[in-house]
Amino acid sequence: MLNPSGTLNVAVIVKLEPDFSEGNVSYNSDGTLNRAETKNVLGPHSAVASSAALYAKVKYGANVSVATMGPPIAEAALQQSQLICNADELHLYSDRIFAGADTLATSEVLRAGIKKMANEQGIDIVFSGHRASDGETGQTGPQTAWKLGYPFIGNVIDYDIDKERGYVRLQRLIKNYGHNDIIEELESPLPVFITLDPSYSPFFNTVSQRLNLALNQNDAEKRSSRYKEYLKTFSAQSLELNLKSVGLPGSPTIVYKVEKIPRAKANRKADIIDGYSQENLSQVARRIYGILGETIIK
Amino acid sequence: MEKFDVAIIGGGSAGLAALKQLSNLGKQAILIEGGKKIGTKNVSGGLLYSKNTTIGKVYNVEDVYDNFLTDAPVERQITKYMLHATSKDKMFSLDLTPTHNYQTNFGYSVLLNKLLPWFAKEALNSAEKTGGGIVTGIHVRSIMWKDENTIIIETDELEPFQVKAVIAADGVNSEVAQITGARRKFTQSDLYQGVKVVVKLPEEIIEERFEITNNEGAAHLFAGDVTLNHIGGGFLYTNKDTLSVGAVYHYDSLIEKPTEPYELVNALLSNPFVIELIKDEVPETKENYKNLSKEEELRTRFKANKLIKDWKELHHTYYSPSGVKELLANGKYKTKEEIKNKVDSIHDELVSKYDIEFESNYVELEYSAKLVPDGKRCRMKKPYFKNILFIGDAAGRGIFVGPRIEGLNVGIDDAVRAAEAVSNAIDKNSFHSNILGERYRRLVEESPYTKDMDEIDKNYLKVFLDCTKQVPNDIVDYRYRAIFKLMSNSTFRGISVGLVNKLGYRRLLPILESNKTYTEVPIKIAERKGKDVQKSYSIRIPAIAERIAKLNYNDDSLSHIKVLDSQSDFMKKMVTLCPTKCYSMENGRVILQHEGCIECGTCLKETEWRHPRGEKGIAYQYG
Ligand SMILES: Cc1cc2nc3c(=O)[nH]c(=O)nc-3n(C[C@H](O)[C@H](O)[C@H](O)COP(=O)(O)OP(=O)(O)OC[C@H]3O[C@@H](n4cnc5c(N)ncnc54)[C@H](O)[C@@H]3O)c2cc1C
Ligand code: SF4
Repeated sequence: MLNPSGTLNVAVIVKLEPDFSEGNVSYNSDGTLNRAETKNVLGPHSAVASSAALYAKVKYGANVSVATMGPPIAEAALQQSQLICNADELHLYSDRIFAGADTLATSEVLRAGIKKMANEQGIDIVFSGHRASDGETGQTGPQTAWKLGYPFIGNVIDYDIDKERGYVRLQRLIKNYGHNDIIEELESPLPVFITLDPSYSPFFNTVSQRLNLALNQNDAEKRSSRYKEYLKTFSAQSLELNLKSVGLPGSPTIVYKVEKIPRAKANRKADIIDGYSQENLSQVARRIYGILGETIIK
Repeated sequence: MEKFDVAIIGGGSAGLAALKQLSNLGKQAILIEGGKKIGTKNVSGGLLYSKNTTIGKVYNVEDVYDNFLTDAPVERQITKYMLHATSKDKMFSLDLTPTHNYQTNFGYSVLLNKLLPWFAKEALNSAEKTGGGIVTGIHVRSIMWKDENTIIIETDELEPFQVKAVIAADGVNSEVAQITGARRKFTQSDLYQGVKVVVKLPEEIIEERFEITNNEGAAHLFAGDVTLNHIGGGFLYTNKDTLSVGAVYHYDSLIEKPTEPYELVNALLSNPFVIELIKDEVPETKENYKNLSKEEELRTRFKANKLIKDWKELHHTYYSPSGVKELLANGKYKTKEEIKNKVDSIHDELVSKYDIEFESNYVELEYSAKLVPDGKRCRMKKPYFKNILFIGDAAGRGIFVGPRIEGLNVGIDDAVRAAEAVSNAIDKNSFHSNILGERYRRLVEESPYTKDMDEIDKNYLKVFLDCTKQVPNDIVDYRYRAIFKLMSNSTFRGISVGLVNKLGYRRLLPILESNKTYTEVPIKIAERKGKDVQKSYSIRIPAIAERIAKLNYNDDSLSHIKVLDSQSDFMKKMVTLCPTKCYSMENGRVILQHEGCIECGTCLKETEWRHPRGEKGIAYQYG
């Protein structure tokens, strides 16, 4: 059932992550990530989740809230998400005692935050990314859903909403009988918790939606340049959290040590080829052809 | 099905003006554009004129966009307008500035990829107030009528929708015209082929070299041996920190003696006078890294490339007052000299450490091409079909008179007239051709531009002839020597112009637009009266493959063009005439590789020709 306000309320959970795109990562001499030097951006999966919220906004006029847990610099993720989905409200859950949280303790903070969104009218859909790219386990989503009491639906590639009935109809990718990428279609009453498949990209197929999309993109630019006006910061106290269930005390798992898995010795020899020379390039092509033969020219 | 009042198909200068004007009139209109972004599919020379005509009102760009003069991203206001007759290293120049100024408020050089997005922003602001707007990346595929007042539009991307009227602003290769059969396909005598390159040149160097100040601009036109014996000519316009150099040739003449379009533009670039105008300092790698190990060589090459990039940027900025100001403001440099020292020190480092030589050459940014309709020959006399109105290039409305090539201003004037007709039809809620189409036809007939397409403006001709006084009479072709003689005598001038008009365009065109006019006479003039022009370096022009490689494409796996008869004479000529070499011969048949297509329309006549699907195909960065 839709929340009582009559407007669809959606939330997006996002995360600030090191920018793993080319040229932006910096490593320490031992090969671990140099977090201080590496730029942080809205994670790619979070961006996908934000675009799912944009779809809800453009197509159903949804009210969008975006949230993240982290130190104040995590605001950057909220701002970048707002630029994608034209969010109406941004939540930052930031408190020193949240530090060291595992996925369960994080879920507890998110649960409490989601309850506060949209004037506490209730969120109909929570979107989150597939998982974070800096080593998350993909557990935060399902755990938050469980805490909220929402059904959890993963790997979603498309969805549409029946506001009257308060239902969502979705398509998701599943594996079955050894086949990858089977599309399953299902329906669920609202509210739901959805994670998006990385391949998700919203498609707007009517003129009105496109016009609306342009309006929203325009608006999003304006809003995100003044994102602080949309930002609310919450502490453990303002989220009315039990201090035993957050941060380190609320984390049944502890990351004891991160081991660098030694790289298997490569059993190959590299030739450096001067790519400026036409002759050398044709040699490369010939060698590839020699190895792969006809299979490449289908 | 979704319903709107009006759909405008095509977001070039004409379509955007229609959207702006209809929205100004309080009407709801949506504009559909195939390109992913506005301004990526459009090519012009481009001088955008505002006119002050005496025989009636034209609607100018500043009438549509009231903040045009203060806010629009134009390049330079043209204050100098020269025509040069060329023959090898001889050149004879005429100052045609009075013809440029004739009934002109202003003429700006523009780059469409910068200007059209600004038009779009302004139009969108107004359109949103009436529930309209702009939808990009959508290709209109078909058009049907549900009833007299209802058109259903199908696209490759969206659900069909319906409108009460359509303004077709889809350019010279209008699919709307083809789908509806509103007009025949343009033929070779109706068209010119335009090819252009954008050349990079620092702002202050442009000003010094062209003898203009910060806001002024120069236009140079060329005829003579640069035409390679074709009917048409070359142009070179100054932009803020680029030059537009192009060639526009009559399609008939190209079909008769096929010449690669890029050869025509290359002929202009190789003219000694042009060579000197486009000259810049260009770093060239000697690639002499023989004594280095492979890895060392890669590292050196990488460093050298980075330094070259830095040098190019800083060299360009140093000659731009706004660029210098910005650099000084952000505190990276304290004085202009400091910037100069840095430019020089990178220069020296490149020479001494990286074996880079600095040569004189020119820097080409973008190659483009498009057909241009000659309104004298092909303007739609009935510029509508049922409740669809055609404007701009789609209606074949371009002015080609002597050195004048005008389409931008004409399309804007058409747009205002179409908007007025459509607005009236909406108010009356009748889209019958008596109310809409005929009214629009009448409005267009009243346009001074239509008159320019139908007859010679004797006052313009007078101004033109006054500028050509220094041309010796005996050079001119015998057929119009008499006219020329009469013209130079002021008492006879009125009579002779009357005579010219009596003869009419139809009979005069073969004389006016002939090899004699564009090639032979200018060559003779240059040889007889021209001054010597020296070039100071030999130019290296990129091969066509390099030019294509620089262009931005979003490849469509489906071809938007289908060859109908791969053995026809016309298609065989396309092997030469396609500006990006999309056609080649194999076993006596012409085959097409559509991936390099820049949608110029040259091959349209004997193909099933569509624009690519939404967002696909060429995306120009300058235009
Ligand atoms: C080399 C050259 C020099 C020129 N010099 C000058 C000059 O100096 N001064 C001057 O005034 N004029 C000049 N012109 C002419 C001028 O550029 C054109 O007249 C003008 O750009 C035409 O504008 P338009 O809006 O009618 O068409 P276009 O700019 O061609 O716009 C048509 C638009 O429609 C879109 N479209 C087409 N089909 C579809 C479809 N099915 N669905 C969706 N979208 C579609 C296209 O993507 C395109 O954006 C020159 C032209 C050339 C080529
Ligand atoms: S294929 Fe046709 S339309 Fe495309 S660039 Fe070549 S001639 Fe022009």
